[in-house]
Amino acid sequence: MRDHTFKILVTGPFAAGKTSLIQSVSQTDVVSTDVVTSGDESDVKAHTTVAMDFGTYTVDGDDVRLLMFGTPGQPRFRFMTNILKGDVDIVAFVIDAEARQTHASAGVELRSLLSDLRVPAVIAVNRCNDDGTAKRLARSLGALDGESVIACQLNDPDSGREVVVEILITLLAKIERTELATSGAEVS
Amino acid sequence: MESVKTGSRVSTNAIDTGTAPVAAGPTTPSSMPSRPATTPLAPPPVAAGPAEKSPPAAATAPPLALVLDELVDVVEGVHGALLGSVDGFAIARSATMPNSAAHAAILAAGMGLAHQLAAMGGGDELRQLVIDHDQGLLLLWPIGTQRVLALLTARRVDQAHLRRFVQSRASWLAGER
Repeated sequence: MRDHTFKILVTGPFAAGKTSLIQSVSQTDVVSTDVVTSGDESDVKAHTTVAMDFGTYTVDGDDVRLLMFGTPGQPRFRFMTNILKGDVDIVAFVIDAEARQTHASAGVELRSLLSDLRVPAVIAVNRCNDDGTAKRLARSLGALDGESVIACQLNDPDSGREVVVEILITLLAKIERTELATSGAEVS
Repeated sequence: MESVKTGSRVSTNAIDTGTAPVAAGPTTPSSMPSRPATTPLAPPPVAAGPAEKSPPAAATAPPLALVLDELVDVVEGVHGALLGSVDGFAIARSATMPNSAAHAAILAAGMGLAHQLAAMGGGDELRQLVIDHDQGLLLLWPIGTQRVLALLTARRVDQAHLRRFVQSRASWLAGER
């Protein structure tokens, strides 16, 4: 682990809980681009991210540092995801378990993003109390067996921290796999 | 919202969306200049000049696309205008502006970041975002608190004139009436 700073892309559909996750766990002031919503979207929530959210989380002093880049959720802001997704180490994909109408397109987005980025993912199923339910939902979105799934309640900061722990575990597993693959290559 | 005062203004430089003239007298285009102050508009201070002719007093706002077309016609060096919401929806565009849904979203994202950049510079209020490119300027002005106006202009556009024109129609553009 030469580089102890990791870039996390926090993405997912509109009103899934991306900004809540970053705001609840960031240890530095969150850079946010929230504005007042208009039209039909104002029936769902009062504010929305138009460019990005940015927050950080540091573990063990300065040893491991997570940089969280949150995207807007609406398809019209997809270009921001394309800007923010460069060099990410892991994707945190947030989905609202109860917003079923978002699930089909979220599944398509999740698969297309991960086949493009080829990095591990943590699927955070918001407004869900049960990991079994979360796993079934994630699988219905096309989540693969190796991808982490966690049920969470992102209006609760403790729950957000559990998502961060899951992200760290998933990152460590990736690093171990990479090191194994590297040492295997050296042997052969 | 319509406080008739000047004392409560926080910033001396910010323009206001003002109010279009209230119906009084003949409905000619040359009625009183609009001087009242309400919702802050944010473009930068410019040298004082003659007030822009106010639109005819009318009970209802004209279609905003026509206001933007007029702006392009009246202010030399303005090639196109697009009015969007701060959350990335197009509200109106001049006929000279290509119809691209992406533009309004890009404007919103750009302004979202520009507010943060202004804060990085120690500012409290974003007045304008200027994109200076090889073909001219793109000026982004907050209109009230919920809208943004994008102006494609030549580099030598008369910004004072442009600002006075926008000021005179600001309450319409802000969607206040």
